Amino acid sequence: MSHVIEVTHLTKEYKKLRAVDDLSFTVEKGEILGLLGPNGSGKSTTINCILTLLSYQNGSIRIFNEEMRPSAYDMKRKIGVVFQEVAVFEELSVYDNINYFCGLYIKDRKLRKQYVEDAIALVELQNFQKFMPKQLSGGLLRRLNIACGIAHKPELIFLDEPTVAVDPQSRNAILEGIKELNRCGATIVYTSHYMEEVEILCDRVIILDQGKLLAAGTCDELKKLASIEEKISVEIRDLDEAHRLCIQEMEQVESLSYDGQVLQIIYKQGQDHLIALMSYLQKEQIPYHRIYSERPTLNDVFLELTGKELRD
Amino acid sequence: MFWHNFKYTLKTLARDRMLIFWTFAFPLILGTLFQMAFANIESSEEFSPITIAIVENDAWKQRTVWNEAFTKLSEEGSDEQLFHTRYTSEEEAKELLETDEISGYLMMKDTPQVVVDASGINETIFKHVCEELIQSETLTDMIVEKQTAKWMANPDQMINDPAWQTRLYEEVNEILQAETTMVQDASPTKMSYTMIEFYTLIAMTCLYGGVLAMVAMNRNLADMSDSGKRVAVSPASKGSLVLSSISAAYVVQLLGLTLLFSFTCFVLHVDYGENFIGLLGLAVVGSLAGLALGICVAALCKRNEATKTGILISITMLGSFLSGMMGITMKYIVDTNFSWLNRLNPAAMIIVRLTRYWIRKRNRKKLCFIVRFTIS
Repeated sequence: MSHVIEVTHLTKEYKKLRAVDDLSFTVEKGEILGLLGPNGSGKSTTINCILTLLSYQNGSIRIFNEEMRPSAYDMKRKIGVVFQEVAVFEELSVYDNINYFCGLYIKDRKLRKQYVEDAIALVELQNFQKFMPKQLSGGLLRRLNIACGIAHKPELIFLDEPTVAVDPQSRNAILEGIKELNRCGATIVYTSHYMEEVEILCDRVIILDQGKLLAAGTCDELKKLASIEEKISVEIRDLDEAHRLCIQEMEQVESLSYDGQVLQIIYKQGQDHLIALMSYLQKEQIPYHRIYSERPTLNDVFLELTGKELRD
Repeated sequence: MFWHNFKYTLKTLARDRMLIFWTFAFPLILGTLFQMAFANIESSEEFSPITIAIVENDAWKQRTVWNEAFTKLSEEGSDEQLFHTRYTSEEEAKELLETDEISGYLMMKDTPQVVVDASGINETIFKHVCEELIQSETLTDMIVEKQTAKWMANPDQMINDPAWQTRLYEEVNEILQAETTMVQDASPTKMSYTMIEFYTLIAMTCLYGGVLAMVAMNRNLADMSDSGKRVAVSPASKGSLVLSSISAAYVVQLLGLTLLFSFTCFVLHVDYGENFIGLLGLAVVGSLAGLALGICVAALCKRNEATKTGILISITMLGSFLSGMMGITMKYIVDTNFSWLNRLNPAAMIIVRLTRYWIRKRNRKKLCFIVRFTIS
């Protein structure tokens, strides 16, 4: 596969803060790359550097095998951006907003009309074309935001947290739209805090923190990085301290937590601990309602890599 | 690209309620208030001739210039009538002054003597007119003396030229014309306070174009608006985007001015005088100065749009205030003490030029200042 984006040793500093620190990665043609990281990890700064909205101190950025510059209009023509903030004009209708932004890329009126209609269909806004943005709900507004960014059918799309604060129905429609764009051949760089979205959508994931690359790979590859192997949750009422200590002493148990309702046990290695635990509970005649086993999620990997302390 | 961006900028500006208020509605509201407030002031301040007396003695009869001047200034029903003059004896004049039937009297002796017993506006005007006449007379005497001495120094020329007296008269007259400041009201009707207020209103509206330009510019600046970020990552040429946005702002600004002129002419019945086309032309040029101000603030000030709007409105209001919007006295104070300020204040430049159009003087200096301000 050829590189659509090639970032090499990118460094961006703001006075005393190093927002991006010697970052290198590539994005391959036709893939969806997930860019993960806590708030302030450098995701948006990296995207803004790639889009030439920000200058940077060191490194290089190549898109479609060419150096990215503010005046690289031919390259910009192939790029679509959906910003985290809803970037539309309050004074223009849904149709006019999409038509305006599409018109910055596509001069031919007939072609543009077709593209605008395709974008409206993709985000399912056919019934809201004449609505003004302030008349739309949060979910519809997000969909309009996406339509404005992708109406010109770009080859490379940056989606910066496009599903923030939207209802499950809208989120589903947005995710389906993104998959459709990818099926049509678009390469996508996707940032989000919703791990399940990233797991569903992305072919590859990069985890950033404090401007540095912590890990990169497919979701399965990243999960292997986790120090835990299995997570078992049991709904039990009134589990006494002695039993808890006994479970804690069982083989491969990394940690245990109990909130009076659910007992959660994390195992370091192995995937067959469920039978052993159920045998113990039956032997001790401890009643339980539900019991289920989970593999580590991307969320577990993310928290393990980036830490659990709160960020700004 | 130009027309695409122009069309949509026009749409967004025309639908922005805040902009529409400042550009379209606010000048109309202010104009209506001016009309209501100043119309009453002017009717209560209508000028009536000052009653004076002149002691008709032999000395008076010999002062031809004074006779002619006071006859002219006392002509009943004339536009130039300043005085209602009574010719009396000295005793009668004193009696009239004591009974407050006259504001003062003039008596010729070796020198003209003005007698008043109060210090009101009427007395000041009377004294001022007499002082002006004394000065004119002194100046004329000096010139005649100087020119006569010149002729006398060359007696051969006097002998050879029989019309030397006529020539002397012509020379004196020429020097007088050059030395004297002639105050002449050349306007078709009398210029009033209200007109000055309306000129400041036009200047203010011209400068409000700055808010339009600033908003139009912000649409294209990535650090100023989210939509600006989207525009900035597009392949559209920045020059074309800025030019089309500013052009759209200018069109909206001109629409605002058209509305203002239509409203003041047809609803408030403001008389802008004979050179209305010139006045419109100046408003069109003045609007460019407003746009330039807006572009300058948009480009140099790295604050949010609300702050920039505040800065522009403050500059416009302060400029208009210093140019006499809230009272002509302020303009007089600035003109007298801080005349340099007028060269920095676009509102003052526009108003001065508008006033010039009113009196139909062809002085292009201020227009050049406005153009220079716009370009710089």
